[in-house]
Amino acid sequence: MDHPESPPHNDPSAEASGAEMQRLRRRLERERASRLEAEAIAERGLRDLYEKQRQLELLEAVAVAANQAASIRDVLQFAVTRFCTFTGWPMGHAYVVKNAKEGRHLQSAAIWHNALNASTEDFRRETEEMKFVPGIGLPGRVLQDGGPAWIINVADDANFIRQTAAKTAGIASAFAFPIMAGDEVVAVVEFYSLVRSQPDETLLWLMAQIGTQLGRVVERERAKDQLVHDASHDVLTGLPNRSLFLDRLTRAIAQKRRHPEINFAVLFIDLDRFKVVNDSLGHLAGDLLIAEVAARFMASLRQTDVVSRPNATPPAASEGALPEGSDTLARLGGDEFTILLDDLHSLSDAVRVAERVLATLAKPFLLQGQDVYVGASIGIASSVTPYVSADEVMRDADLAMYRAKALGKGRYEVFDQTMHTMAVKRLALESDLRRALQNNEFVLHYQPIVTLRDEAITGVEALVRWQRPNHGLVYPGDFIDVAEDTGIILFLGMWVLREACRTMHRWHQEFPRERPLTISVNISARQFAQPDLVTQIRQIIEETGIQPSSLRLELTESVTMANAERAIKILESLRDLGIRISIDDFGTGYSSLSYLHRLPLDVLKIDRSFVTQMDDANEGLQIVNTIMHLAQNLDMEVIAEGVETEAHVKKLRSLGCANGQGYFFSRPVPAGEIHKLLRDQRR
Amino acid sequence: MKGIVFNLLEEVVVQHHGEDVWDSLLDAAGLNGNYTSLGGYPDEDMGKLVAVAATALNISAIDVQRWFGRQAMPLLVARYPTFFAPHQTTRTFVVSVNNIIHPEVRKVYPGADVPTFDFALLDDGGLLMGYHSPRRLCALAEGFVEGAADHFHETAEAEHLECMHRGDPKCLVKIAFRQAA
Repeated sequence: MDHPESPPHNDPSAEASGAEMQRLRRRLERERASRLEAEAIAERGLRDLYEKQRQLELLEAVAVAANQAASIRDVLQFAVTRFCTFTGWPMGHAYVVKNAKEGRHLQSAAIWHNALNASTEDFRRETEEMKFVPGIGLPGRVLQDGGPAWIINVADDANFIRQTAAKTAGIASAFAFPIMAGDEVVAVVEFYSLVRSQPDETLLWLMAQIGTQLGRVVERERAKDQLVHDASHDVLTGLPNRSLFLDRLTRAIAQKRRHPEINFAVLFIDLDRFKVVNDSLGHLAGDLLIAEVAARFMASLRQTDVVSRPNATPPAASEGALPEGSDTLARLGGDEFTILLDDLHSLSDAVRVAERVLATLAKPFLLQGQDVYVGASIGIASSVTPYVSADEVMRDADLAMYRAKALGKGRYEVFDQTMHTMAVKRLALESDLRRALQNNEFVLHYQPIVTLRDEAITGVEALVRWQRPNHGLVYPGDFIDVAEDTGIILFLGMWVLREACRTMHRWHQEFPRERPLTISVNISARQFAQPDLVTQIRQIIEETGIQPSSLRLELTESVTMANAERAIKILESLRDLGIRISIDDFGTGYSSLSYLHRLPLDVLKIDRSFVTQMDDANEGLQIVNTIMHLAQNLDMEVIAEGVETEAHVKKLRSLGCANGQGYFFSRPVPAGEIHKLLRDQRR
Repeated sequence: MKGIVFNLLEEVVVQHHGEDVWDSLLDAAGLNGNYTSLGGYPDEDMGKLVAVAATALNISAIDVQRWFGRQAMPLLVARYPTFFAPHQTTRTFVVSVNNIIHPEVRKVYPGADVPTFDFALLDDGGLLMGYHSPRRLCALAEGFVEGAADHFHETAEAEHLECMHRGDPKCLVKIAFRQAA
């Protein structure tokens, strides 16, 4: 500083005032320094505050965007633009994650902020053309690590694979961060700077926050998609549900109208014996079975897809659904499935699919450690009939399915118009059947069982008949299936048992014999699946007073096969009551000998077909002979069914068969006739 | 106007002419001179100070502004070295004012009303600078550019193609840079 006037040295007062000046000057300097320091502190504080505010503003904007953005593209555009503005970095770009067959990779979403000018053209094109697999390139690194990455100078980074184009664009630094849905990287945004920039801790922290926040949009979108999917798909199998199926069917009908050369068909599939499995093994097992059946159907459909369409490309390995525009397998509910084949060359393609679907059920299903067999009945309706609504197609396919069931199950039927008439008949039958129980229209007939040696009656089999008004006497073959399907069998079966026991007990009283007559009663599959079957039977025994050892319950092989463990337990409980168990129609089912051996059985009834076969071939004789040996080894009593001729009796006798039942001895007759027979015998 | 500008002016005047001259300028302008860097003060204060300085130094107000700008630059270098460090030439430094320096200024001095310049790089290494502000401090800007040139051992020769002081709607200054001798 320039001080022009110095005080004289010899003046004490001047000296004093000079010292005073020095002190004041020093104080002034101190004050000035303090002020500057205070200002500096305040400036730093203001700067921090400013930064914090901007960060808050950014995070707030991000939160708003995360709440409002409708799509992932909106979010990415926001992230790219907003982050460029925030950082002052000139250029940004977004990638989305693609899940392809060959693996996850990043692909440009073609979302940019300010791709500068002509010098960045190459960089932009190269970036958009590339696929970044995990670990490769800056975005690939982010995809792999799931966190932000920063490159101070891209020219120094060997992993930055767009070197040349980046150099042309003048890019120095770059950073990228992921958009996260939970733990999953769903997109990556990348930013480029023309000047070298050092990693900024605050910025890195912000990126992680923003990546998570914006990921919520994706999570929300996914939840929405899931809801839409759930509303149109079956939860258990993941297959399209009824509403989606009808939707696609409606489209197929519309397509048929526009392009008459393109045919479609609907296969209506209903599992046979599913109710039995469900009733006996429980709903959980039933669910498992349905899921497994769905998987087999799906697999068979994929195969046929290629078979029925030589020109079709093989379906992609997507889960749960067939590729779009292809056949649709749906679950309508319960044990009902449908298949829409919407691009058929001919009806024979549909038949081929039906055969293949049936073939998938040939092998057993393993449920709770047991082999379980189910079959299916399939009805086919096709665009050969000029349909205008999906409901019509479904109705006809359903009718054809019922026809398949009526014709013996495990088969398919193609719809034809006569099925309508039959359907009407069946409906009438069903409603009449419901009334029949209340109106006491059922009656029992009894067919004697005799010893072949002397043709003496040892017991009878109770057989139900229906005195249907205006129809006369109806035999079980004409109504038992409907009774099974509708559940009427449960009431009817118990009525039969009670009535048979009561009648036989009366005969026992009236015509006492050394060996009381036996009474055989059929038990259906659905009856057998009843959880309280044993209790019900015990009650009937107590109620009627029948001697349990004279009661024989007849079951077919298939009844016990649905669940062997349970069957054994129930049969043992029934035996504990003193009841005998007969295996009916033996030889027609598929049970293995080892399986049969485990069942507690007393009586084996040789199916009538084998007895009839003895007439024409030696083979028939051999079969009966084999069954006889088997029964002897298992220590079972044998009754031959369908004995119609003297020759049958002779042959059976020669094979060592002790008992017989059939027209040769007596057809099933009303109780009165048996009563008369017994009375005559006594005389 | 932010107090920091007054502080810079004070420092430049004191450095070159002593504290007494600053005091007398304040007296002549009728101002108390209590300026803190963070405060905001009337633009007229600066106008008055420039006017009285012009009278005292016997130069035009325009020249006072340019002189102030040029002499303030070493103080700014000392205070904010990071703004200068990345640059090798005056031109790239000057161009960074809009995108780097002024945003930083806004962070420290909330509400600072900094001007925005239009820049065009000329093929001959020169710069075309557009300036528009009701404060009409184009000469101060010119002085800053000259001071920056001093820092980068260059000279800056400014030519006002258009000037608000001559009634043009904005100032358009063509600047030529040369290596200092």
